[in-house]
This record gives sequence, structure tokens and C-alpha cells, in this order.
Amino acid sequence: MKFDFSRRKMLGVFGGALAGLLSAPAARAAKATVQKVFASSGAPNGYDPYKHKWLMCFDVDKCIGCGLCVDACKKENHVPEAAHYFRTWIERYIIKKPKPGSDRLRGEVLVDSPNGGRDGFPPTSVPREEILKSFFVPKLCNLCEASPCTQVCPVGATFDTPDGAVLVDPNYCIGCGFCIQACPYGCRFLNPETKTAEKCNLCYHRITRGLKPACVEVCPTEARIFGDLKNPVENDPIQTFIAKNKVFSLKPHLGTEPRTLYANLDKEVR
Amino acid sequence: MGLLKMPPQIFRLVLLTIGIVVSYFIARQLLTPASFRDYGFYRGAALEEVASRTPVFAGRKSCLECHEIIQTQLFKGEHKTIGCESCHGPSSAHVADPDSDGKKPDKRNTLACSRCHEANPSRPVTQKQINIKNHYAGQKCTECHVPHQPNEVP
Amino acid sequence: MSLEITNAIVEAIPRFEGYVYPNESGTHPLWGFLIVLYPYITGLVAGAFIMASLVRVFRVKPLEPVYRLSLLTALAFLLCATLPLLFHLGHPERSIQIMITPHLTSPMAIFGFVYAWYLMAVLFLELWFDYREDFVEWSKTEAGFRGIIYRAFTLGVTDVSDKALALDHKLSWIISILGIPSAFLLHGYVGFIFGSIKANPWWGNAIMPIIFILSAMVSGIALCVFNYMVLTWVRRRALDMRCLDVMGMFLFYALVIDATVEALDWVHRAYSAEEGFHVMEYMAQERLFYTLSIGQVLVGTLIPLLLLGVLQVLRKRIPDMARKRMYFASAVFILIGVFAMRWNVVMGGQFFSKSLRGVMSYKLEFAGVEGWFMGLILLSLPFIILTVLIKLFLAERLSTKGHVPHRMEEI
Repeated sequence: MKFDFSRRKMLGVFGGALAGLLSAPAARAAKATVQKVFASSGAPNGYDPYKHKWLMCFDVDKCIGCGLCVDACKKENHVPEAAHYFRTWIERYIIKKPKPGSDRLRGEVLVDSPNGGRDGFPPTSVPREEILKSFFVPKLCNLCEASPCTQVCPVGATFDTPDGAVLVDPNYCIGCGFCIQACPYGCRFLNPETKTAEKCNLCYHRITRGLKPACVEVCPTEARIFGDLKNPVENDPIQTFIAKNKVFSLKPHLGTEPRTLYANLDKEVR
Repeated sequence: MGLLKMPPQIFRLVLLTIGIVVSYFIARQLLTPASFRDYGFYRGAALEEVASRTPVFAGRKSCLECHEIIQTQLFKGEHKTIGCESCHGPSSAHVADPDSDGKKPDKRNTLACSRCHEANPSRPVTQKQINIKNHYAGQKCTECHVPHQPNEVP
Repeated sequence: MSLEITNAIVEAIPRFEGYVYPNESGTHPLWGFLIVLYPYITGLVAGAFIMASLVRVFRVKPLEPVYRLSLLTALAFLLCATLPLLFHLGHPERSIQIMITPHLTSPMAIFGFVYAWYLMAVLFLELWFDYREDFVEWSKTEAGFRGIIYRAFTLGVTDVSDKALALDHKLSWIISILGIPSAFLLHGYVGFIFGSIKANPWWGNAIMPIIFILSAMVSGIALCVFNYMVLTWVRRRALDMRCLDVMGMFLFYALVIDATVEALDWVHRAYSAEEGFHVMEYMAQERLFYTLSIGQVLVGTLIPLLLLGVLQVLRKRIPDMARKRMYFASAVFILIGVFAMRWNVVMGGQFFSKSLRGVMSYKLEFAGVEGWFMGLILLSLPFIILTVLIKLFLAERLSTKGHVPHRMEEI
């Protein structure tokens, strides 16, 4: 049942799409192919999971907390609307100045994520002059090398795919919640409608079609960096990101070896 | 024959055990999904099933195929990193059927500039921010700024 | 009306302090009352079995009157042990997949096999060898429904010659010896299900299985004391005071060890004060005060320790009636205390955010699958099963000439 389809066909589709930009008649043809891709509800043909390794990284300094990614994720993946189901969300960190006269470097740390940041962030009640620094941190599945969540699944309903995504099989999940308990990053939830575990799957239905994940697609500042480690393009964003930044992962002491890396992270982020 | 010399109660238990173990393995054979272990310890078919969802966001590539003029405009200015659907909303229905007016992204859903440009102390300093209340209050942003080419004046 | 609904919703949404991950803020806690019941019931099984093996393996003669009762208690509770798990699943109809495609790195998948081994290879076999002679006898004397059941349980083997019985006893003894590590494995494994979750500093702890085993022994012995006293009271029979004293003695020793190890765990946690300790400390003081300080420590440990300790020292000076009451009270307190301990482990692990920045609270509902009414039903189910088992296999009118422990010396 493996899908043994070649990448060539896929390139053909998008090569055609690009060529369409150059000439009008070709554009018509390309449009037709693109429409075909989107109209089909079946699996994309020509995708081989062994020929890709997807990864998403973050540049914290670029995130402006607009929340478009959260909104796009909810729409793209039909995530339940309620304010406690998120495949990705944004946290706001406000580090206050130390109290005058204290020998501390930093004051109190306030963290919030109203509706996961989906509607943007309302102005904080902390006066600007009391803020030492403040920043936004986007969160999603950390794509762990040694994922504690897939380790504990009793039936193999959640797993690491060869191409670097961590998927949940909604037709096989028994809904025990063990993976949700085992994820140190709070990235999983139990979908109240399907009664199965759910999490970010890097928009698997998009990346297998050659599209970017929805959150990356809409991010206005390129704070989310996404790429294929097995097929680096020219000036590959993710390779450049790793080369130019000092990166850090969340909760490294747990030994989960997150593949998702953050640049310009603060020690308060967990 | 050694089997017959086995004490009767043991013999019955051995039979029962064999029965249970054999029926377990038969059940396992019958109930294990066909594509299990194709890639690893999971249903291989799940990859296809998860991948078969239809995208909601079409992606900038698809938009720019028809809206070429906007692209040349967009690539000149600072908004070049922004995807079309960031502001205009998900458009795969429109891409699939470009001629149907009903499926076009609704202009009224276009995102407010304030979502990214309202001043917020948590935003990086490199982000251009204004206090909407104090910044030419009462006027529309588009009176002075071109969204697709923000460094141009209309 | 709409106000009521809004209030109900607001009530249902837990209150928070500090920051919790958005996904943690919803239907919290994910593992509710049913998952508290699961380690509790499993622990009672393991403890009751160890109680029985005191008679068979360690040959504690005074405990013979409760040997079969302990085994039947273990069986009744074991039959219900997986029910809370099953009801809690999002898709109970898929639960068979745990046995069909068990993921070998998952504690939960392995538990299915540990459970099956313990039920089939240990408990059923030990009971069968112990009862075989009686089954053969009863299948001849009893008619009707009972007769059919006993005949079925003989598995068609009617050989009760001395040679065959000697073999039965030998095998039963071997199974019992195997059963002790199996009982430890069964409940240690439940501890491991929690202890293996490194994401949760409240659970992820190497000594969790040991604490679970020790508290299981305590609760199991307490349950046997409780059942024995209730059974003799229902039957208007005289209690065997020697048996009760010895049970009390073992209960006391087990409780001392359990309390020491749990205290050690706390000292270790407080001293190493790893990341997030302040959140857990706050949670333990605020959200778990009644169940931890009052339930687990005071009611479940200190009071029974005092009662049982006094009984050890002054056994001969206290009249029988007072002793009975003190034993009964200790057993009930311990049963409550161990339940509180399971609650603190399961709920405590979910009352603080994994961001280590906030705590949540939880209001136990009456109705619903995770409500306490459902829990009450599930908790009374093993007692109902036990009543049936006692009527079938421990009925007074049935002569039990094959009561094995009297023949221990023959082995």
C-alpha cells in the first residue's frame, strides 16, 4: 500500500505552474493543473516520504504576535473553535523591571496567551515603563528526535514518519490520552468531536502537495522558517537560519531532542 | 506416548493454554490492519489518509499565477514577505473555481493594518508601529499607504 | 435560563492561577476520577494476593481463615481493574487494538499482557488448583445451576487421588511463589505508567513503582481485614482474634515501611527542589490540602499508625471488642488514605501546568462518565462480584475438605 510515486511528477506540476507566469497560454494550462491538484480530495500522487525531511524553526525576534498563524491553523485543519484547542499558539512574555533598590536583574515574569493569540494580543495592563523586555514566542509540536509521545502510544496510532512529521492516525487512536500526558510542551489535545488525540502535523496534506504549512504561508515576517532538509534549494531559508543564528531548544534537559529550534530565545521560555 | 502419561488436570490446562494462545494469534492475524508496519509500527495507510485532506489555503504561488501585476508591485516593497492569504483569507475555493464570484475572497474580510502595526511593547523594535488613535485619526490607512507597495504614496 | 447555562459553563471551566498552556486549559483534567480508581483497584488486587501468599508461601498459619477470602477478593477486584480504563477511553470499541498491535515501548500496551498473565496464569491457576478437589466433590453433591458451574470448573477432570492432589498442591505452591513477583509486577507497572512520564515532574520519578507497590500492600491487607470482619459480622460468626491480630501486625509493618518510603520521597523532592518544585509545593498546599495533608497523611497514615502501634504494644491489655473496633477503624482509614494517595498522584500531576507557571483546580461532577456517581458504581462493582464469588465458592453450607493450607506440611 506504499505510495511509490516519484517527485518528478510533482515537480512537473509546480514547474508548470512557474512556467505559467512567463506566458499567458501556458498559464491557462498550468491553472488547470493547479485546480486539479486542489480539487482532488485523494492523496497527492508522486510523493515519497523517504525523499523528504521537513522541519520548522523559529526566529523569536521576528514574531510580531499578529496571530495570523493561529487563525490559519484553525481554519486549515478544522481545529475545534474553543479557546483550549490549538495545534499552534503564541505566547507573550513580559519581563518586568526589578523593584527599585532590589539587587535583581529582572523582575516578575508574566506569560499569557489569550485565545492562543488567535485574535492578536490586546494591550497589556503593565505600564510600558515597568517593562524590561517583552516578546512573543510561537509554539507548536517540537518534532522531537526522541518523541516521548509516540513512545507511549499503546497501539502505534501516533508515530514519526520518515519525512519528519509526527502524525496521529485518527482512525486508529483509542483516545486514552497517554500521549497528551507525555508531551512536555503541551502541544497535544483530545479533540472533543472525534475523541482522538490531535496535534500539529506540519499540515501534512499541504507539504505532500508541495505547499507550505498554513502557518508559514500566512506568517508576514518570516518568523517561521520551514524547509526540506533532504532537498535544499538555493539560499535555503532553513540552512541560512541555522548558519546565522545561535539556536536553542525547549526543555533540553528532558532529552527529547527537539528538532524544532528557536533563535533568540530567553531562559524564561519553557 | 508421553502426552498420555501427563496427569489429566495438567493435560486439560495445556490444551486450554494452547487454545487461548492459538486464538490470540489467529485474532491478531485477522485484526491487524493490512498496511501495518509498512513504514514502521503504525498503519502505513494513515499517511495517505492524513495527506488526502484538501488544503484550505491555496498558497501564494497559485494566487500569483493570475494576479501577476500585484506580484511585481508586491516584490518591490516591504510587504514582499507577506502571503496573499495573510490579508485576504483562505482562497483555495477561489483557485479551484476562479470564475465564480461567490468563491472570491471577500474584500470585507481583508485584514486590518492594525493587526500588525498597532503599537505593542512586546513587538520587536524593527516592526513599524503606530498608535492608531493618535495617527491621523479618522482617516483610512489606504488614503496615505498602498497596502501592496507600502513605500509608495497613492 | 441563559444565565444558568453560562454559570454552568463557567463552573465547568476550571479556574487558573498563573499561566497554563492553552491546550491544558480545557476539559481538565484529562484523566479524571476513573483513572484514580484504576491504580486503587489494581493496588487492592496486588495487596490481597500478597496477603494470601503470606499463608501459602510464608506459611503464616494463623492467617489460614482468610486465605481463600483474600484470593477471591483479589479475583473480584482484578476482574474490574480494567473497567475504569475502558470507560475513560475516547474509543472503547478500539481497545482490542492494545492486544492486537501492542506498541512495545508503551507501558500501557505492556500492561495488557501483565494483566492477562496475572489473571490467567497466576490467579485463575492458583484458585483452580486450590479448589479442584472441592469442585469435584461439589459437582457430585450440588444440583441445578451451582452443579453446572462446579462441573464446568472441574474441566472434566475428576481425578482426586492422593497422588493427583499432591501434584495440585505442589503446582499451586509454585504458582504462588511466581505470583508474588507477578503481583509486584502488576502494580509496579501501574506505578511505572505514571513514573515513566518524564514530562511531568510530579509523576516522573524512579521510586513511583515502589511507592505504588508498598501502598498497594497496605491497602490490600486493609481490604482483607475489612472484608473478613464484614463477612463474619454478616454471618454472625465469631472472629478468629488470633488471625485478626496477625493481620493487624502485618498491616502495621507494611504501613510503617510504606510511610517511611513515601516520606523519603518527599524529603528527596524538597531537598533536590528541581525545576518547578515551587509550583508543586504551592499546588500541594493549596489544591491538594484536604486530600494530601488531611486524607493521605493524617487519616491514611498517622491515625492508623497510632492505632495499630498501640495495638502492637498493648495487645493483651485491650479487650477483644475494643481491639476489633480499632482494627476495623484502622482498615477503613487506610482504605480512605490510600484512595487519597491515588487521587493526589493522578490529580496532582494534572493540577499544575507543564509550563511550570500555573495551577488549575477541578470540581468533581456528579453525573457523566467521569463523575463520582459513575466512580461509585465502578467501586461497588468488585464488592458485588465478591459477594457472588463468596456465595459460590465460600458458602457456609459447602464442606471444604480440601482447604489446602492444612496440608502445607505435605509439600
